[in-house]
Amino acid sequence: MPGRTQPVVRTAGLCKTFRDFWRRPRAEAVKDLDLEVKPGEVFGLLGPNGSGKTTTIKMLLGLLYPTRGRISVFDKPPTDVSVKGRIGFLPEESYLYRFLVAHETLDFYGRLFRLPARVRKERGDRLLDMVGLRHEAKRRVGEYSKGMARRIGLAQALINDPEFLILDEPTSGLDPVGARQIKDVIRELGKKGKTILLSSHVLSDVEDVCDRVTILYGGQQRAAGDIGELLRKRDVTQITTPALSEETVEKLREMIQRLEQKDIIGVSHPRQRLEEFFLRIVEEARAAHIRTSGATSGGEIPDFLKKPTEATTEEVVESLVSATTRRVEPASLPPTEPPEDKTAAGREVLEALLGGQSKEVETADEQQVPAPKPPPMPEAAHPPVQADSSVIDSLLKSGDDQADEDSEGSS
Amino acid sequence: MTQIWAVARQMVAEGIRMKIALVFLGLMGMVVLGLPFSISGDSSVTGAVQSFMSYGLSATGVLLGMLTIFMSRSLSDELVNRHVYLVLTKPIPRWQFLMGKWIGMMALNAAFLAFSGLAIWGMVHYIKRTHPPIDEHFDMRELDDQVLVARHPTKVTVPDFGKLAEQEFERNREQGVYVNVPDFKPGQEMARLRNKYEARWRLVPPYDSRTFEFKKILCDRSPDKYIQLRYKTEVIRYPTDEIFRSVWRFGNPYKGTPLYESPTRHVVGRYHTIPIRADAVAPDHTLTVQFYNYNPFEGETQAYNIIEFRAPDGPEVLFVVGSFEWNLIRTLILMLCKLTFLAAVALLMTTVFSFPVACLASFTIYVLSGSRSFITEAFDYISDDRAGMFSSLNEFVIQSIAYVYNMIHWVLPSFSRYDAVETFVNGRNVSLVWVLQALSELVLLKTTIIIGLAILLFHRREVAETSI
Repeated sequence: MPGRTQPVVRTAGLCKTFRDFWRRPRAEAVKDLDLEVKPGEVFGLLGPNGSGKTTTIKMLLGLLYPTRGRISVFDKPPTDVSVKGRIGFLPEESYLYRFLVAHETLDFYGRLFRLPARVRKERGDRLLDMVGLRHEAKRRVGEYSKGMARRIGLAQALINDPEFLILDEPTSGLDPVGARQIKDVIRELGKKGKTILLSSHVLSDVEDVCDRVTILYGGQQRAAGDIGELLRKRDVTQITTPALSEETVEKLREMIQRLEQKDIIGVSHPRQRLEEFFLRIVEEARAAHIRTSGATSGGEIPDFLKKPTEATTEEVVESLVSATTRRVEPASLPPTEPPEDKTAAGREVLEALLGGQSKEVETADEQQVPAPKPPPMPEAAHPPVQADSSVIDSLLKSGDDQADEDSEGSS
Repeated sequence: MTQIWAVARQMVAEGIRMKIALVFLGLMGMVVLGLPFSISGDSSVTGAVQSFMSYGLSATGVLLGMLTIFMSRSLSDELVNRHVYLVLTKPIPRWQFLMGKWIGMMALNAAFLAFSGLAIWGMVHYIKRTHPPIDEHFDMRELDDQVLVARHPTKVTVPDFGKLAEQEFERNREQGVYVNVPDFKPGQEMARLRNKYEARWRLVPPYDSRTFEFKKILCDRSPDKYIQLRYKTEVIRYPTDEIFRSVWRFGNPYKGTPLYESPTRHVVGRYHTIPIRADAVAPDHTLTVQFYNYNPFEGETQAYNIIEFRAPDGPEVLFVVGSFEWNLIRTLILMLCKLTFLAAVALLMTTVFSFPVACLASFTIYVLSGSRSFITEAFDYISDDRAGMFSSLNEFVIQSIAYVYNMIHWVLPSFSRYDAVETFVNGRNVSLVWVLQALSELVLLKTTIIIGLAILLFHRREVAETSI
């Protein structure tokens, strides 16, 4: 089992060639792909149609075999059955059994993970609540709309509380409410230390949730890196405030010209995003109890998914041995302080410029959009971890709990 | 096992909810429950029951064979509709997934066979109660004694004519009879002579008698119990009234048994069954039966005639070894063994081919297995007639087919070898040994080979492969 610092996914020189009936090579779907997905990160696999995203995912899941190159998931071949127990997968379309009802669907996949009946029932109920289909649990999946089927697809992908979640076009076919919900789930799971591989060509989805991305084109990697770094415009600075008078804007312009010898490029009132507007309208309709036969607003993310990814005893020992030289992921430690907010730095700058107004800005922002995910800190910024007996105790206890649950599952 | 059962349960649910199984269940219900109202046999209760059981069981076998082939569509659907993308990305080994599918198919088959068995059992008793008998006493007794039982047959022990054949062979050779015979084969000549003596032994001239010995009659020898003698006679000159009169004696006083005599009037060329008191069987479980070719009935005329007991219809003794119900269960188990093999074949085909091709291939194997003995005989006949081999394209094609057939011959079971319907319908015992043979050959050996091959192919298959 790899430690928390070893990549969950590693490919080297990965190639996949599709052949015709006579075994003649016809299309190179993936060419020399080198990929690493680290534990605890939300990784985006981007590219237009036919760029090799889904083929790569199928190879990661053992549904396709590479023509050349190496591929490992949790340091094992993807065909290894033990690896599959740690993965959740949502395919690009919901390949569910049309004749099973929602509850039976989740129960069936739970059985494949050898979950005990009680756990299957409990998790099935919670997940149906989460995806807003509890009231439609007795309907056959074949009768569901595409969006509803996607929701069940997401629920089945989470039934085993996976360490590694692979989502292929997760928001395809979903209404904005569902898409937003899936993004919330991804963010929440990412915060809890789950590793997520997200494939999509809906760029806004990826931008909203991913830490790192790789862009594929023609089966080859064209760009890769931290999403914040890739998208940052270093030659432009943007300051957002509540509406300012013309007079204040003019004063700011003068101040910037005086201090920086630069002019303001543009001053405008930002528009609300259509997604936010739409979600507000739907929320109002729900508040008015207007009936629908579709999916309702999703419920809370179940507790079993909120639990931080637990490290095994072996991983704890490894992390302690290498504590002075190696970075330890926050997820492997007990929660101490809330994560640093990306907007904090912006607020400090604003405060310096406008004084007391920054407080109002903070409040208004938090009401409308969730705080973006903090960018990963550079290695050197993390202090070396000291060996702390309370940390060991808590982690070993987590390991014991997991072992108890496993033994219950196998019984 | 949890995962195998999960897949099997899902397969059963699919069969029921996608209505494939329900359609076949409906057809089976129509056949089994409707037959008694549309057939009458030979107007007797026995005939009606035998016809119903024969058609009912045969139809069940055919329908379940087709259901098994159609149910293999499930795996094909999994691949075409990509359900496997979700299943095989879960921690279930591929062999368990295939085994789950196979067990699901077999669970449906077993349930349907049980339904068919219960329906047949119920309808037999319904016919027995409601069918107007020709002769109440005789008709009902015949049904109970000869159909609704499990009887073990014992063929007559044919004397060894080897010594007589050898003596004649030596005599002929000394006399130079074989000198000018082209391509003379001593073995064939010995067999011919043995057959000649046996054929003579099977003939009983007028006012002559013949003694038949039966061994291993392992029945209850109480005087109130009965065993049966079943035989068919042929005559040289057909009597005008079709009736032949004769006397049978049962028992051997030299072995301490009573001697019973039975004068009979029987229709020539038909099977007859005579009840024999079980205490006629000697303590060493042998039974001596004597046939007298004379007319014991005064006032009834009968022309002199030579009686023949032909080899396949030769006299046999039957004694009860089990009940009708257990016989029915064993017959159904034999049918299930065949379906087990067929399910494995259907699964193998769907791991390789798309459903229409797999369906056709499975159906071909089903037909070939069902008629293997006939096809083997036909090809043997063609192979023996080699005079014009390859003289025309037609013969070349036939020989090629025969060659290919012989190559796959060893893996194809002969379903007719395990067809117990006729045995069951005639009230004969479907023995446990027979069932064990079917289990060994069809299930343990050939199904294992086929399933193993299917697992191997499926394990290597890229389930998300796209052929461009």
